[in-house]
Amino acid sequence: MQSNAALEYDYSVAKLFTYTTILFGFLGMLIGTLIAAQLAFPELNYLLGEYGTFSRLRPVHTNTVIFGFTVSGVFATFYYVGQRVLKVSMAESKFLMFIGKLHFWLYFIGALLATISLLLGYSQSKEYAQYEWPIDVVIVVIWVLWGVSVFGLIGIRREKALYISIWYYIATFLGIAMLYLFNNMAVPTYFVSGGLGNIMHSVSMYSGTNDALVQWWYGHNAVAFGFTVPIVAMIYYFLPKESGQAIYSYKLSLLSFWGLMFIYLWAGSHHLLWSTVPDWMQTMGSVFSVVLILPSWGSAINMLLTMKGEWNQLTENPLIKFMVLASTFYMLSTLEGPIQAIKSVNAIAHFTDWIPGHVHDGVLGWVVFMIMAGLFHMAPRMFKREIYSKKLLEAQFWLQTTAVVLYFTSMWIAGITQGMMWRAVDEYGNLMYSFIDTVTVLHPYYAIRALSGVLYLVGFLMFAYNMYKTMTSSRELSEEPQFRSPMA
Amino acid sequence: MDIRELQGYASFFMTIVLVMLLYGYIIYLYRSEKKGEKDYEKLGKIALDDEIDSKPINDSSASPSENKEQNK
Amino acid sequence: MFHWLEKNPFFFAVGVFLVIAFAGLIEILPNFAEASRPVVGLKPYTVLELAGKEVYKKDACIACHSQLIRPFKAETDRYGQYSLSGEYAYDRPFLWGSKRTGPDLHRIGNYRTTDWHENHMWDPKSVVPESIMPAYKHQFTNIADLETAYAEAVTVKKVFNTPYDTPNGVKLGTWDEAKAAALDEAKKITADMKNQNVKDAVAAGNIPEIVALIAYLNRLK
Repeated sequence: MQSNAALEYDYSVAKLFTYTTILFGFLGMLIGTLIAAQLAFPELNYLLGEYGTFSRLRPVHTNTVIFGFTVSGVFATFYYVGQRVLKVSMAESKFLMFIGKLHFWLYFIGALLATISLLLGYSQSKEYAQYEWPIDVVIVVIWVLWGVSVFGLIGIRREKALYISIWYYIATFLGIAMLYLFNNMAVPTYFVSGGLGNIMHSVSMYSGTNDALVQWWYGHNAVAFGFTVPIVAMIYYFLPKESGQAIYSYKLSLLSFWGLMFIYLWAGSHHLLWSTVPDWMQTMGSVFSVVLILPSWGSAINMLLTMKGEWNQLTENPLIKFMVLASTFYMLSTLEGPIQAIKSVNAIAHFTDWIPGHVHDGVLGWVVFMIMAGLFHMAPRMFKREIYSKKLLEAQFWLQTTAVVLYFTSMWIAGITQGMMWRAVDEYGNLMYSFIDTVTVLHPYYAIRALSGVLYLVGFLMFAYNMYKTMTSSRELSEEPQFRSPMA
Repeated sequence: MDIRELQGYASFFMTIVLVMLLYGYIIYLYRSEKKGEKDYEKLGKIALDDEIDSKPINDSSASPSENKEQNK
Repeated sequence: MFHWLEKNPFFFAVGVFLVIAFAGLIEILPNFAEASRPVVGLKPYTVLELAGKEVYKKDACIACHSQLIRPFKAETDRYGQYSLSGEYAYDRPFLWGSKRTGPDLHRIGNYRTTDWHENHMWDPKSVVPESIMPAYKHQFTNIADLETAYAEAVTVKKVFNTPYDTPNGVKLGTWDEAKAAALDEAKKITADMKNQNVKDAVAAGNIPEIVALIAYLNRLK
């Protein structure tokens, strides 16, 4: 609005979520590194008594990096990107400002309570849906508040056309809402039994095979709508903005969007191949997982082609490097996933370390790289200072890339080795190895993985330090940079 | 007809319908650009030119007479 | 139609929702009608076993152990008969797991005994020298939450018609009856155990987590 020259984008909520992204990222990765080391060196299980065993900490790790780090990153970038592509400031609506702040504080308190509840052992034992029902209620409220922010900002927008990133943020909101609600349906036992036992306890609405179906319909798509959809939203904004190049093909981005929405939800049953769910669902899961390559690569290629003719930026600007590597890892893990979903491959890969290997080349290479690049891009605009150190950024990039490569190569080898040993038979048809043989053989790979965790964690600390210096003591900027983020 | 068969038919036909919709959308995208009704690639500029005082690509406050294509 | 979807955020959101909800609607919902039939002879969990299942969930055994034997010769040789859908009919939640850092447990009750579990939870290396599993010594002092387990049994009986209190089935009864039954069951287990503190606790009417967990593991057959 030309009439209101003093109006600026208001980043106060985006800043708050930036802090929690860094905090939970550090905590989640610290625990991740610890539990990786525990598998190589079991003595490390006894650092915190009952609360420090691998099994108790593993859900804390997964939930902290998913609902702490990644979701914070999604919120932080939404409160930044949302305003800018809709061309409306949070400062224009007292109501939305209030909702945004409430959203943050409730989220922060909720996250702390949730983490404590997991450490104490309150768990539904459904992966990535461990939180018991009182925490679930808080999470639903937080999610609804975010929905109010999303649709509220859209409601008062100046830019009538919704940019593709907003499409993806809307899909994130809807997808997670639907999946989370249905998977966490449970009956609190305290009320039904007339006040007996622990009030936190609940029992799942679904049993056995049905529960498995719902859980992996959720589990797989929580990855889709937490680790793919919102991250694509980020790269579709940050890569063009940082490089000054519009998306290579906007139409392709729209088509990939619908393709992804339609296909992703079918693929969940590939987690249940060779189990007791009906055969046709397993086949559906396999087939749709393979088809899923199309929309995933549609987005990834679109991102890479955005850099067409501007590849020199890759050497000059470390943020472009981060984002291009992120889309490359996205392509890698969206190819690897369908391979693992083929039934004969899955027979070997399932239950082995190849699966965490696959997850981590996706999350470490794609999700974390993209979120860090996004926050680095936002920092000079939010804090009006240039990025503290380009050298540190470069060093961090190479350190973490090495860490990711070490992680997935060691886990690929570990997974395939173990999968083959489980089924190896001697000339008389007897099993060749006892189970413990297949565990001891993994020791070197577990040690390499622990090392890669340490490297990645150090890289993340470099990121945190760089961000902290950028916020507090870097050179101040007189005006907002248009494309490339300035750095010293 | 038992529930398995119904599931089979339902998923088959819904898949066909959604595939047709997707292809219909592709055709729609290219046709409306060819006719000059829309310019999708222009929307990519929303990310590049995103100052609060820069002019929106599709202005929500503009009157219908200025933006005829929005009412089609 | 497409034009209208692109310009109207509300209908756009409805469109997205329909597309993503479609898979769940067709794939999952109709299955509820039939997939939960128990196999013949399957009994619901006793209160002590349920309390043990809670320990299994609390210490997240699922992080490293599966309960799903796939239909391959290598797996049936190692773990026993492959798993059937109906065997899980009373499992809320299902505990199939997704990772075998340790072996499958679906039929552990067939080939491991109470004293093996006791030694293993106290110090895994005492029975499997190269084990990387941590010891769970706190299970020998923490008291299992029987009341919550009883509340769970009452809930599944009321809400999901799980067949408790049927002829020749598992008796639930009142809280006091259930508590007494669980203690009897626990005493049978501690008869095979050697840890004196655990025996004393059970004799005094408190059941340590380890006893409940062993009750649960012994039932997995």
